[in-house]
Formats: sequence, C-alpha cells, structure tokens
Amino acid sequence: MGSIRRRPRMAAAIEHDDGFESLRQAFHARLESERVHFVTLSAALARAEENPVWIFEDLVYRAHRLQGGAAIFEESEVAVAAGKLESAAVIAAESRAGNTDENVWAALEALVKLMGNRDSVRDLARA
Amino acid sequence: MPTEYKVHSLEDSSVDLHDTILTQRMESSQPCRVLVVDDDDLVRARLTALLRNAEFEVEAASNGEDALRIMGSRHCQVLLTDWQMPDMDGLTLCRIVRSEHAEGYVYVLMLTVRDSKEDLLKGLGAGADDYVVKSAPVEEILARLEVARRITHVEYSLRRSNRENRRLAVTDALTGAHNLRFLMKNLPRELSRSQRYVHPLAVLSCDIDRFKKINDAYGHDVGDDVLRAFVVRANGCIREGSDWLARVGGDEFMVVLPETDVTGAKRVAQKLRKVFSHCPVSTHAGPVKLSVSIGITALEAQAEIRESSKIEDLLRAADRGLYASKADGGNKATAASIADGRVASIKQ
Repeated sequence: MGSIRRRPRMAAAIEHDDGFESLRQAFHARLESERVHFVTLSAALARAEENPVWIFEDLVYRAHRLQGGAAIFEESEVAVAAGKLESAAVIAAESRAGNTDENVWAALEALVKLMGNRDSVRDLARA
Repeated sequence: MPTEYKVHSLEDSSVDLHDTILTQRMESSQPCRVLVVDDDDLVRARLTALLRNAEFEVEAASNGEDALRIMGSRHCQVLLTDWQMPDMDGLTLCRIVRSEHAEGYVYVLMLTVRDSKEDLLKGLGAGADDYVVKSAPVEEILARLEVARRITHVEYSLRRSNRENRRLAVTDALTGAHNLRFLMKNLPRELSRSQRYVHPLAVLSCDIDRFKKINDAYGHDVGDDVLRAFVVRANGCIREGSDWLARVGGDEFMVVLPETDVTGAKRVAQKLRKVFSHCPVSTHAGPVKLSVSIGITALEAQAEIRESSKIEDLLRAADRGLYASKADGGNKATAASIADGRVASIKQ
C-alpha cells in the first residue's frame, strides 16, 4: 500500500470522531484484497485469447466499485485510476476487443501500481 | 330559518381524513430521516456515520428493493442513492419513488461516480432533486443534504399548515364542533356506507329553545357559553369515534348516528333533551336554564335504505320532526318518517 499517500482530511467540520479512521482502515484492507483480484484478472486476461469479454465485465464491476469507495474515502488518485480502468474496460467489452487491448492494460497497470504492486502486472501475467 | 344544504362529491370527502393520517405519521418521523442506498457496505457505513454526526436520522439499504421496503414502512424525507447497483439501480429506484404516492415529499440526492453532464441530466430526468459526485468534498455532500433538510422541512411546514387550514375550514370557531361544510362533506359518505352495507343511519336535528331570548336577556357572551355547553354535553351523549355532531346554524345542530335505528336514535334524543332540561348551564351570568327541541329520523328498513339516495330527504325529515317539537311547545323529541312524511312525538 506504499503508493497511496495519506493526505490530511478535507472536512474540517468532521474532524471529531465519526468513525472515519476505522472505516478508512477497513477500506485500505479491502484495497489489498482488491489488488490481488486485479492481478489475478490480469493473469486471466493474458491467457484469455478467445473470449475475454467476461474479464472486461468483471473489471468494469470491480473498477466501478473501487472508484466509488476510493472517492468516498478520499483516495482520489485511486478513484481516478479506477475510473480510467472502468472506461477502458467498458469500451473493450462493447467493441469485443482482444486480450491485448492497450488501453485496458495501461489502465490496469497504473491502478495496480498505485495500489501498491511493485512489479508490472504485465510481467506478473506473463510469469 | 331552514338551512341550505349543498352536497359535495364523495371523492372530496375522502381527502381530509386520509391526509390527516398521513400527516400524523409524518409528525412522528421528524426530524429529518435520510435513507442511504449503496451496494458497498463500507461506503454505506461511512455515509451513515457522517450523517449521524450531522444530526440526521439514518436508515441504510444495500439495493433498490431494500430501499423501497424501508420507505414503505417509514417515511424518509431524503433518499441518498448510488446510481449503479445490482438488481435495481438508482435511476429505477428514483423513478419508482416519484411514481408512487409517498407520505410527503421525498427529496432525492443521487451520489455517484458518474460525472458527465449527460449522466447528471439523466439523474435529474429520472426525478432526482440534486446530483453530486462521490469525489466531491464531504462538506459539499453535507451542504447539499442541509439543502435537502431545509426543503423537506418547508414542505412539512406547508403540509401541516394546509392540514390546519382544512381542519379550520370544517370546524366551527366558536364551539369547536364540526360545521355545516363538514356535514355536507361527510353525511353523503355515511349515507353511502349505510346503503352499501344496508345498515341503519339516524340523524337528529337539534335546536336550543328560545335561544334568541337568552341572547337578548343575558347578552351574546352568555349565548356563546350556552352554545359551547351544548356541544360539550351533546358530545357526552353520543358514541365517540362513530357518532358526530355539526353546528349548522346559529343555535341549530345536526347529530349523525351511524349504525343506529330509530329506537336507538330516540334513546339518544331523550338523553340529550334531559341532559339540558335537568341541569342548568353555567355561564358568565350564572346558571341558565334551557331546553332543547329535537327532530329524529332514521333509515332502517332495507327498502328505505336502498331507495333513499339523497341526504336532503334525510335532513328535511329530521327538520320536520324538529318543527313538530317546536310547534308542540319545545323541549320535545319527535320522530319523522322519510318515506311518507309522518311525524310522531315520542313519550317524554
């Protein structure tokens, strides 16, 4: 999780304890499991030469959910990266793109890196 | 002087009571309750904590179906909903909320990651009042919810004010009893119910004897005391919840007795007459003796109930009985038949 910078909270009005920190910790724990999911999906995408649409759809669902959660928990970089992945995966699914769709891979790479992956997902997928 | 009766439609008459029930349920749901709908449990938990901290009451649902179930059981003034959710999305939820008759207005705020102008227009088009993206600062989300709180409070105040105005419109200001307008709106409903179920219905027409003399001798304040006392005592003679009375003129009152045949109506009339003739009324000027004349009519035979479709017939028959009581010297109760116009004094 080293890539996600901890920024000061934006809302001065809610500085008192409203359970935000404990929920944020829970969100970060979820980010870790989501990162593993995305790496797994990368590997599946690299192998799915015939019909990767179901993987694109899964990416759309997960990226959308992550974007919403990250926005609410003030992880805007993750939210933006997840939004880009969602958009790329939507287009790839609609256009029936192959498993080498560059936009999807670039967005996936950026998001997973931001979530703390040191190695490239492309390298991991090839391995 | 005979009262002019105007019959309102049954559709009109059903509105007030229904609205009163809804508003009473709304009152119990103040202060502002927000229903948070999001399929992400952490987002729901975060929004719930944030809103509770801002002194909103909060309900939470993970999808549209759950949200509708919650809204069906208690009024939520504000719906804060995500757009994309499994099964039922926020747009569909919003459309359903707008199409259904709700208890008061539901202010819908869509909270989503979809940030294009097109998406915003779609959200508003589905019936959302406001639209905010999840990446907005929490201050903005809270500020928009404060707008929602303010608007729903104004809406609630207007509803309460309208209810009070409607109540006043059917209430006699002096005595607090129902007025002629209430009688003309609700007696048709009683008649309709009587005809539908072939159940008896009785009406008493009451008049305080020599009321003008009381006014002339003691002044209008005392006359007002007498009218108020009439309502208090008459209400004590009838069944709470089913029977009711209305002031229809200066010292004229109509008492409506559902599920009551002429024998039962005579009993009530005698009770009413005796409660005045046996006990003077306390007024500003001291105790004042008074008596009441009463006309009685009732629909009780099956054919009579089915064929009498006009409340005017019912009221005229009760008035005929009243005039007969007056003509007989007052302090009397006289039953009058609707069918053949016969009147018959009842034993004192």
